[in-house]
Amino acid sequence: MEEKKNVLPEETSSEKATQAPETLVKGVMHEQNMQQVSTKQRIVKIAVQTGLYVFLGFMAIVVLFPFYWMLISSVKSMTEYEANPPTLWPKVFVFHNYVEAFNAANLGTLFGNTIYVGLISTGLSLIITVLSAFAFARLEFKGKNVLFGFLLATMMIPGELFTITNYQTVVDFGWLNTYTVLIVPFLVSVFYIYLLKQNFMQIPNELYLAAKVDGTTDFKYLWKVMIPLALPTLISITILKMMGAWNTYIWPKLVANDEAHRLITNGLRALSFTDEATQKTNIPVQMAAVTMVSTPLFLVFVFLRKYIMKGVSRSGIKG
Amino acid sequence: MKVELKNLTKIFPSRNKKAGGEVVAVNDFTYVIPDGKLVGLLGPSGCGKSTTLYMISGLQQPTGGSIFFGDEDVTHLSAENRGIGLVFQNYALYPHLTVQQNILFPLQNLRGKDRMTKQAMLDRALEVAKLVQIDNLMDRKPNELSGGQQQRVAIARALVKMPRVLLLDEPLSNLDARLRLQTREEIRRIQKETGITTVFVTHDQEEAMSISDEIVVMKLGVVQQVGKPQEIYDNPVNLFVAKFLGTPPINVFNGKVEGGKLYIGAECVLTVKGVEDQEVTVAIRPEGFNLEENGPFTCQLSNVEVMGRDVSVVSKNDAADSPVIRSIVDADNKIDVSKAEVKFSLKPHKVFLFNKETEERIYFEV
Amino acid sequence: MAENKETKPKKEFSLREKLDEFSAWFKKFLLKIKFDVWKGWLYLLPCIGLLLVFTVWPIINTVRISFLEGYDSLGAIGGATFNVGVGNFTRVINAPRFLTCLKNTLILCVLTVPISTILALIIAVCLNAIKPLRRFLQTVFFLPYVTNSIAIGMVFAAMFKMVGSHFGTGNEYIQTAGIMNTILGVFGVKPVNWINEGSTYAANITVMVVYIVWNALPFKILILLGGLQSVNKQYYEAAKIDSTPRWRVFLRITVPLLSPMLVYVVITGFIGGFKEYSSIVGIFGEGMGAPGAKGSLNTMVGYIYDAISNTQYGIASAAALILFAIIFVVTMINLYVSKKKTHY
Repeated sequence: MEEKKNVLPEETSSEKATQAPETLVKGVMHEQNMQQVSTKQRIVKIAVQTGLYVFLGFMAIVVLFPFYWMLISSVKSMTEYEANPPTLWPKVFVFHNYVEAFNAANLGTLFGNTIYVGLISTGLSLIITVLSAFAFARLEFKGKNVLFGFLLATMMIPGELFTITNYQTVVDFGWLNTYTVLIVPFLVSVFYIYLLKQNFMQIPNELYLAAKVDGTTDFKYLWKVMIPLALPTLISITILKMMGAWNTYIWPKLVANDEAHRLITNGLRALSFTDEATQKTNIPVQMAAVTMVSTPLFLVFVFLRKYIMKGVSRSGIKG
Repeated sequence: MKVELKNLTKIFPSRNKKAGGEVVAVNDFTYVIPDGKLVGLLGPSGCGKSTTLYMISGLQQPTGGSIFFGDEDVTHLSAENRGIGLVFQNYALYPHLTVQQNILFPLQNLRGKDRMTKQAMLDRALEVAKLVQIDNLMDRKPNELSGGQQQRVAIARALVKMPRVLLLDEPLSNLDARLRLQTREEIRRIQKETGITTVFVTHDQEEAMSISDEIVVMKLGVVQQVGKPQEIYDNPVNLFVAKFLGTPPINVFNGKVEGGKLYIGAECVLTVKGVEDQEVTVAIRPEGFNLEENGPFTCQLSNVEVMGRDVSVVSKNDAADSPVIRSIVDADNKIDVSKAEVKFSLKPHKVFLFNKETEERIYFEV
Repeated sequence: MAENKETKPKKEFSLREKLDEFSAWFKKFLLKIKFDVWKGWLYLLPCIGLLLVFTVWPIINTVRISFLEGYDSLGAIGGATFNVGVGNFTRVINAPRFLTCLKNTLILCVLTVPISTILALIIAVCLNAIKPLRRFLQTVFFLPYVTNSIAIGMVFAAMFKMVGSHFGTGNEYIQTAGIMNTILGVFGVKPVNWINEGSTYAANITVMVVYIVWNALPFKILILLGGLQSVNKQYYEAAKIDSTPRWRVFLRITVPLLSPMLVYVVITGFIGGFKEYSSIVGIFGEGMGAPGAKGSLNTMVGYIYDAISNTQYGIASAAALILFAIIFVVTMINLYVSKKKTHY
């Protein structure tokens, strides 16, 4: 008992121990004016809550302000935009900015390209992810754990390291300025495989064994049991992948920056939106284009918020 | 410090929001917890015992009624100002702090004139650690301790600031059977040594009976009976209390009173004076049976379990509420197991009669 | 199945029978080649194939190229051979342009990671302490996550941009100082040239920090709030009973219990910070700097892409490996420090 070093010399401490009961009985907490404390604690509580809301409200305004500025700037006239001081609400709504932006940026083609690439790459990526996750989660084969460990290790390496050789590779394949080059190199996402594998593992193995006993094939089991049960994760992956296609910038700029295959983000950045008369950037038109590019993202967010936030927060588990 | 509960009531909104309605967790609870005593709140799950404890702690606010610590009304005082110690069911030890840091934690919060020097805090922590016999574990982390040790640390943390009232929420439920026996003695010892008014919650009647000075039996938010454990055991006010206390459980029969005689089935088993003729529920403690060759109460013998000092006779009776009747008799009794029947006489003070409808006790004289 | 076949008369040709026969044979065949053992690899075939081409080969090749001095693709096609050596690395490290990029990246990392982490922690704790409107505010704070960093960068640029001409010269002419300057003017701050021609480096970096923090907050708030909500509420009740002051609960309970999430957020923050590129493109365009100061805000990733565009693959590879090494070291330091600081 006494072997561990104590703070006090042994004698005094054992003496204290025998005194313990007495001190504890007498040492009742100090008396307080209960009524006063009760009111005080209510005031403090209200003050703290008010403070919290004020702070959060202020931060919310800070977070939302750029969106607000984007929206109102997109419907201002060039003259009003340059007014001093800037107006917080447009005097005249110039919706024509949107028509101008759409035509100037050739947004139709850009949207079309992005959606096409997004859909195909998401679809193919899902198939590969599901097959791989199933193999890692349910099948037993030699070298499985080593392979999975290797996959996880590749997640540490920054993508830029791959880009150099990948650029050479796609040049060799003659894929420059095709849709293929935008789709194929990024079909495998180790992180999504990891995410889905974890999800599959939560489904009890007994279900798989039961299906085997009933003579269900692996494919049927995968399709009828695993996929429906892991649907929320699959939806999250789909949305995040689509959003990725919408926001990708560097790779497309490098390998497919021609008119026919250009994606939305590159198209947006490449344009100068110069006003022909004044040779100045027509910011309202630019903002209109930005709004049009951002709107699909917001719509997806509004309707599928749950899946996006779940998918993103799951990534927190991997740490 | 005596703790007084006056018409304490807690109403929760119903979990099913669409259906509306509300759940009365604690209903009109009035009781004075005497100073320096160990009181057990006992009842099945959902009886409102934990809610009562949380209201005493200040973590939950009562819907109605009031709570006094001594003469002070603490009803609207929040937990941090009540000066109580609470031991949580799963201990809630801070996982990132050592045992010593856990015990020191409440002391480091003291401000103003209660503020202690570092050395005084260490001394106090050690003192309390010795009291609960964990002074050799001070440098460990909670996850390096056994369940029983964690329990002691939690008690030490609750005691270290010298609370006016100590509250324990199901203190033994996370321990295995052997530790449970040991720890409940320990709690009793610590409480006696410190003399702090202590309230604990449990669903285990044996636990409550064995260490409490007083117990409060609750059911569906309503207090059924309050008193010393033995008094309640010997004198239950209703069928619920009779059934809830005692192991093996009390034996319940359908019976009737006719002309001052108590019948179970067709047999007259006891004379009961001062009771009107009526159908009754008869409850007989296992130790209320005497083996008697010509006893008035006949049961079909199933088997005999020898438990050393005692013998448990397992038998059947058509009038019984449960499939088996357990009676405990002295091991000196010789029982012929080959016989189909066993005959008993009954000890009148171990027999309780209850109203068939209200399940309230019907008192009788022998 | 095999027995069945023999009892039936052989002359009648039945497709069904042939199929059965085939499937029986196929099953036997699968058994013979121990298909069950190989099945897993079959499922992984597309995944492994793509990884070999686009992940494994690049790792090997990038390392190889980085040690081939003066490697460039045209030369390689032409059949030129290159000396093996560390020339690429020394050239990169000695290049003033690379040092500028390294400096910019480090400054942005060191500023944005602590600011955004602390701010996110405070917001998450506040969100966790309120009940009404929590879900709504949570959604609001997550909104910047679902944006296109180039597009919103352009919005930030518009907010900070002055309209006028001749900045920094004697006959400076400002038509409007932009909304940010107008707002700051309310608090008595004189208009600052944030990103226009002639703007200072400090002003440029400030704008970048504001934008990157704004962009980084949602992810961090989401992770930290998730962590807060998974902390057992009884620790707070226990602390309340011991009348622990709020700041002490925050420092002694919340932060330690949240430390795994904080470590995760800081590490991902640093990794993201070292790869900063498109947010700068968003605000300053592909010039990576204010007009007239092109490249002054370029980052490591930007340097790598510039080298690729100039077909200097040796240089690009060496720079990419240096970037990887830095990220690796910083992550390891983070993990080491956090192991010492987080206790469980």
